[in-house]
Amino acid sequence: MELLSDYSGAFDPDFSHEKLSREALLRILKSNSDYLRRLDGTWYVKVMDKCGNDIAFECDSEIWEQFIFYELKTACDLMNIRGNDVETLMKAMQATQWMWIHDRTFELINKNHGIITYRNCQTLFHLEKEGTGRWATICHVLERRLFELTAKYFNPKIKLTPLKLPPRDDGSDISCQWEFKLEE
Amino acid sequence: MEPLYDYSGDFDPSFDHGKLSKDGLVDLLHTYSDYIRRLDGHWYLSVMNRCGDDAAFACDTEVWERLVLYEMKTASELLNIKGDDAVAVAKVFQVSPWFWMYKCDIDLKSRDHLIITYTSCPTLAALEKEGLGREKQICVDLEMKIFMKMAHFYNPDMKVTALKLPPRSGPDDICCRWEFKVER
Repeated sequence: MELLSDYSGAFDPDFSHEKLSREALLRILKSNSDYLRRLDGTWYVKVMDKCGNDIAFECDSEIWEQFIFYELKTACDLMNIRGNDVETLMKAMQATQWMWIHDRTFELINKNHGIITYRNCQTLFHLEKEGTGRWATICHVLERRLFELTAKYFNPKIKLTPLKLPPRDDGSDISCQWEFKLEE
Repeated sequence: MEPLYDYSGDFDPSFDHGKLSKDGLVDLLHTYSDYIRRLDGHWYLSVMNRCGDDAAFACDTEVWERLVLYEMKTASELLNIKGDDAVAVAKVFQVSPWFWMYKCDIDLKSRDHLIITYTSCPTLAALEKEGLGREKQICVDLEMKIFMKMAHFYNPDMKVTALKLPPRSGPDDICCRWEFKVER
């Protein structure tokens, strides 16, 4: 059976994603990644509008502090990523569904030492545009906490150091940069 | 290069989901469908626990009234689903990021008449288990608004009728049944 590049043809009562081509599946995956970001961001903003930023940030933190483990477990199970070093951590971060949203580089200096650089972060761009300085909580507090939990998930001895955090000097500056290091 | 089924091999600084096989991509889509549902549910509960059900439901409604339009537009563009009839709605149900989570019978009676029956719904199952009766709001009030928006995205004259709604008579009962109809 020929694989479909889209679903412009007749209705198929037995349609499934298996009938789509790799290219179509990749387009959907990429779009779902953006959908997820919008879902999370829209919830935050709606709660902030109705209940205030403190409540919205509390909810966001509570959700993601639980969800990060589910996300990492899912990525590792799905992709058969095993280990307890920085290399494993970086592979898992590459494999999550957020990979399509962020323009990131992963530099693995050795299996126990890596640096992740976020070049264009849509969330930071949105926060900069909003102009209320929310990056101070989202990037400095929550993101740091989530990266600490990520490190802990793989190995409690992995240390996290933020090398660069917002605010950016200008539009060409990187968004943030993080170092993960396992000292044995 | 041979497509990968998983990421158990060495670290690849340029890894992305585009390097995965078709089977790997389908598995990812399936898993991330549940991820979206869980994230949405966590937001609802987190807000409800702090600000009450009325505030959570108000946020949920605003989030989904906005996101459903994005979902329709994205699905239509990505997979070239066009039209002003019930066929387009049937097709967009099948490709929705949520579709993996439900068991549905899609009965396209004619170009202008669609009946969709949910026989398994994890959201309803969770609400029944919770026992607070929230299915009245979520399944009746909110779902109607969402389905109306879906229908009207393709044709403002399309009518949506709930043929069967929760509560269920028991676990073997269907979850809900909806009719989409255009009178020409």
